[in-house]
Amino acid sequence: MLTVTDVKKSFQSNEVIKGVTLTVKKGESFGLLGPNGAGKSTLISMICGLIPYEGGEILINGKLVGKHHKETKQMIGVVPQDIALYPTMSALDNLLFWGKMYGLSGKAAKTRAKEVLELVGLTGRAKERIETFSGGMKRRINIGAALMHEPQLLIMDEPTVGIDPQSRNHILETVKSLNEQGMTVIYTSHYMEEVEYLCRRIAIMDEGKLIASGTKKDLANRLAGGTVLKIAVDTVRPQFIEQLKAMDGVEKVIVLPENEIDVHMESKMETVSDVILLASRSSVAIHNMQLQEANLETLFLQLTGRSLRE
Amino acid sequence: MKKILSICLFEIKRTFKKKSSIVVMLGMPLLFTFLFGTVFGSDADVSFRIALVDEEQSTLSKYIAQQLMKDEMIIYELVSADVAEEQLSGNEVQGTMTIEKGITEKLRDNEPVIHFQPTAGLATAPLVEQQVNQAIQGVDIYVAAAQVGSSYLDESWESVFGRLIENEVKIQVWTEQKTGISTGNPMMGVSYSSAGFSIMFVMIMMLSMTGTLIEARQVGIWSRLFTTPVTRFQVLLGYFLSFFIVGWIQFFLLILLSSTLFGVYWGPPGALLLLITSLLLCVVGLGMAIASFVKTVEQQNAIGTLVIISTCMLGGVYWPISMVPDVMQKIANFVPQTWAMEGFTTLITEGGTAGDIMMPLFVLLGFAVVFLSIGLSRMKYA
Repeated sequence: MLTVTDVKKSFQSNEVIKGVTLTVKKGESFGLLGPNGAGKSTLISMICGLIPYEGGEILINGKLVGKHHKETKQMIGVVPQDIALYPTMSALDNLLFWGKMYGLSGKAAKTRAKEVLELVGLTGRAKERIETFSGGMKRRINIGAALMHEPQLLIMDEPTVGIDPQSRNHILETVKSLNEQGMTVIYTSHYMEEVEYLCRRIAIMDEGKLIASGTKKDLANRLAGGTVLKIAVDTVRPQFIEQLKAMDGVEKVIVLPENEIDVHMESKMETVSDVILLASRSSVAIHNMQLQEANLETLFLQLTGRSLRE
Repeated sequence: MKKILSICLFEIKRTFKKKSSIVVMLGMPLLFTFLFGTVFGSDADVSFRIALVDEEQSTLSKYIAQQLMKDEMIIYELVSADVAEEQLSGNEVQGTMTIEKGITEKLRDNEPVIHFQPTAGLATAPLVEQQVNQAIQGVDIYVAAAQVGSSYLDESWESVFGRLIENEVKIQVWTEQKTGISTGNPMMGVSYSSAGFSIMFVMIMMLSMTGTLIEARQVGIWSRLFTTPVTRFQVLLGYFLSFFIVGWIQFFLLILLSSTLFGVYWGPPGALLLLITSLLLCVVGLGMAIASFVKTVEQQNAIGTLVIISTCMLGGVYWPISMVPDVMQKIANFVPQTWAMEGFTTLITEGGTAGDIMMPLFVLLGFAVVFLSIGLSRMKYA
């Protein structure tokens, strides 16, 4: 469905996309994870044909993005990070307008708008102005506008930013259902749990590069340790850190801001007691301690030394 | 084409859904037309009242009085010197105007022939003096012509002058044909205000409409539009058409309402159509040019309003341009409102044809080309 090969992009002298390659198969749900500034939105903008790319190629169903504008744009539906709707117009008016931009007209547009309103659960509020909607409802119509022309590839750029849990669940369920019906989905977010729930394959981006990609299982296998012991201490002594790294069962030690330390380990109980003992011997006071199963967040931290939400 | 029309119709629908649009489009211009029209109008309840005293009582002084009384902005009452003084002290008039004895000599020696005494603190005294000076200048031309004529015809200049003013209408027509400059009365009252305030509020409306370009960019609508299979050309043309059509609807309704409510005659429809179309192109271009320099709708409104109000002052939208000093009149040639007002004046007062307003049409189209070039070349799409 989508093939991105060695794509690059610079803004003035700043290279923001450094040779990204990825493939999304038809009917797949693909997650793109990364912190703010990783280059996700730039990559999405290039796939949508909003900004030109400088090297490599992007193909949608075999059509080159940038050359076959009409065909590639007609195949995709884009849910932008912003609520790109007309606030003084009704939900129905907005859906009809965006439908017309994709070539729908008359009765077909009206019928499809009704279906979309039902899909996003806002049939009863079709004639109300967008400006009267809650943040979650606006997000749902924002998604609906991208679904008007029944795209083959749905690209969602952080579609759940700043909304209530109920709307978030509704959106996640809607996207899951659309994917189950055969729609290919690219979902970008820095909410790891959303990507884990929705996507079969995931790519992690940082500083303009893909630093890991694969199925959830593939990525889990790359983790240095299955469990993470998160400890908060009064002071981080270099000698204590060195001794931690040298301990049996410890795979990796990451020092975080505010005197927090992540200890990636293979076994649990023995190592935990050893860590406590070592802290006591090194005169390091432990304020807080937490055991966490490794996940994508942990992997990202392992790979970059930074949190996804930074 | 369908997509261009969809964008255009959607924008028009959006504009008319806002109640504030109706107020700016129709409410405000009609209110201002009524207020200013009655202040400056011939049928005004409020106007300048001046007591006029003719001390010389000659053909020339009578002619000067007659010229002064043509002014629709000032109501003159021909009275004796005593009555004039009484009226001034009783604040019944805003001033006295005395045509002093020895006009011929004074005109020859370039000395003032009229003495104007305003009431204390009359803020509009310079305005009245300006009007008086204009009337005197008109007389001066006839006196000079009579003096030159008398040396050729071997007649007294008074006799030549008498014959000249008897044929005043014929001379004016001949002068207009030869010079192309109108010597008739300026457009005044509700007609003037209708044309002026229509221009100003159409400009304000178009400023608000072109602000939608910035709004669409700010909230991400343009970025989203360009992910759909529409081109920049289609989007821009859709927006441009909507601005144009709304401007046209506004002008049409203002013409209809001002004709019905105030009895304004706007001139022949064909020429009017051309003038309004040129003006709209120019105004939409100005709005797009301003939009290309600013980042937010608030900046667009602040800067745009400043530009519109100041250029309307310069361009004779609020008061006849002849009332301002010569330097200002020269500067006024560089604002589009001057040319629009000139076009409307020709159509309204003289019922002119398209041929009569060629100059204003070309200048307005020239402004449109400049503004649109700036706006389109600097337009930011995302």
